[in-house]
Amino acid sequence: MTRNPDNITQIELSDLCFAVDGKQILQAITQQISVRRSGIVGRNGSGKSTLARIIAGLVAPTSGLARLNGHDLVKDRKQALRDVGILFQNPDQQIIFPTVREEISFGLRQLGRSKSVADQMTQDTLAGFGKSHWIDAHIHTLSQGQKHLVCLMAIVAMSPKLIILDEPFTGLDIPTKAQLTRALAQYQGSLLHISHDPADLAGYDYVIWLEQGAVVQSGRADDVLHAYIAEMTAVGGSDDIAVLSG
Amino acid sequence: MISLSSPVKTRAHDWPAGMKLAGLCAATIVLFFIENLAVHAGILVAVTGVYLSAGALFFMAGLRQLRVLWPFVVIVAIWHIWTGETQQGAVILLRLLSALALANLVTMTTRLSDMIDVVRLLTRPLAKLGLNPAALDMAIALVIRLTPVLAQKGSNLTQAWRARSPRKPSWRILLPFTVLALDDADHVAQALRARGGFTPLKDP
Amino acid sequence: MEKNIALIALFAAVIAALGLIPKITLGFGVPITAQTLGVMLCGTVLGARRGTLSVLLFLLLVAIGLPLLSGGRGGLGAFATPSAGFLLGWPIGAFVTGWIVEKWRGAPLGVVATVAAIIGSIVVMYVFGIAGLAVALDKSLSEAAFLVLVFVPGDVIKAVIAGLLTAALFKSRPASVLSRYDG
Repeated sequence: MTRNPDNITQIELSDLCFAVDGKQILQAITQQISVRRSGIVGRNGSGKSTLARIIAGLVAPTSGLARLNGHDLVKDRKQALRDVGILFQNPDQQIIFPTVREEISFGLRQLGRSKSVADQMTQDTLAGFGKSHWIDAHIHTLSQGQKHLVCLMAIVAMSPKLIILDEPFTGLDIPTKAQLTRALAQYQGSLLHISHDPADLAGYDYVIWLEQGAVVQSGRADDVLHAYIAEMTAVGGSDDIAVLSG
Repeated sequence: MISLSSPVKTRAHDWPAGMKLAGLCAATIVLFFIENLAVHAGILVAVTGVYLSAGALFFMAGLRQLRVLWPFVVIVAIWHIWTGETQQGAVILLRLLSALALANLVTMTTRLSDMIDVVRLLTRPLAKLGLNPAALDMAIALVIRLTPVLAQKGSNLTQAWRARSPRKPSWRILLPFTVLALDDADHVAQALRARGGFTPLKDP
Repeated sequence: MEKNIALIALFAAVIAALGLIPKITLGFGVPITAQTLGVMLCGTVLGARRGTLSVLLFLLLVAIGLPLLSGGRGGLGAFATPSAGFLLGWPIGAFVTGWIVEKWRGAPLGVVATVAAIIGSIVVMYVFGIAGLAVALDKSLSEAAFLVLVFVPGDVIKAVIAGLLTAALFKSRPASVLSRYDG
């Protein structure tokens, strides 16, 4: 597959299915995403997070295909580290090391950089975010918003071509969310943003609307989000929260 | 969390759990005093018969649970063939199989709730030593409720590791994991306190 | 009171959860089952009393039929195998480990916790484990000891990890290391 000249990440999903314990989570998803800013929107439980993990190569689909720039990221983890980073919802379930320096250099060392190169790249990343003074900070002294930023910096340091964001702004206050959104907007690579809140995807190029594991609509962000908001408002007037699964 | 009691219902499911446990203790002790190979063989055949009487599914489940003994079977077999004491080796193996099969039988034919009732009964005398029975009840419920939650968090941490490393997670992942458990303990303690805790309110 | 119940329950859940998640590595690829590491941490972090209660609670839940031992094992059968002696050694080991960490203040916590885990969780556990093995397999104590010798180095490494984890935890949250928290 020839790389496109703009170097935009190509995500290819072909008849992708995922089931666990007999429960179908994703059904026959077929999509081609090749824009800089794409999003997946849907209710909680629609399968968005699972899809994000499959695209990142962390989870293998039950059947069907998921390719990033032509690579199978489940099999080729080394390529995955170079091509994609994924930012999860909860920094406390994501940060592994006790200091900012260790946390950011971890991925760089795993990419094969030597200790001194990784350390330099860590400092460069922090400088890029205007946080050089965080180099020796301990994670437990940071606020929730600051921890979110550390997670983002740890990924940005690795310069992946695509960053997947799995509802990264949950629970953040307005200023923190604004600051993180600004930091993300500057990212040179592609972004795939998963969210249940359409406001997060304003200004994006392409959006997929997922409902119970299937694509309801996909295309221009404005169109899809408009339809999504209308439907969610209508459902809000009903009582489907009463329904028990299984 | 699913307990190991069998969904296949047997007559033994309705027998009092306390009696089954007492019977198991007695049977296990007796097993260890028997040295006769023929008797052990007979006992194992009888136990197998009990399993079979509950149906093929029950029997197969019971058989699967005996697999954990295979390293010991190998060790004992090799050891006793080497020393020539094959009869003694056979006695040891048959005894191990019977003891385990009987213990599993009690577990498979006793509902979790019945087991917890026995625990309550057995720990009643400990109340005099300071054991709060309500606290024990709550502790059991908490572990059952929180283990899957904690395991999920651990799983999220391992995914976050694998997202940045081609290698499997090292022991370092246990530090944030322990911190998560400690944070959860704080939240649970607050929730317990908010619902009245364990010190009964005095009537005004 | 509620804090104690919560901690005891959560650490029992930690031991259980460590049996559920896949094996972790020692950093250079060697896989270890983390469950006994959880038992060591009960002692080094919670101290003697709470740590022991936590391990006892865990074993109680295994006994009543929950598949919490690594590999999905559980029920009364877990106490009817030749290795059941090791399980009996867990709570006593946690007690000794916790007691050492509480009392020995003269050395860095990492060292204390590692030594405590070795003496408490390993020595005590193996004493009971070897005794149980000897009875079940009808062998002498030294013969039984010989059979399990191969596992000791791995467990010693786990004890070192327990020490490192406890020290790191104390560095970021001293108040949570109850074995040392005098406040």
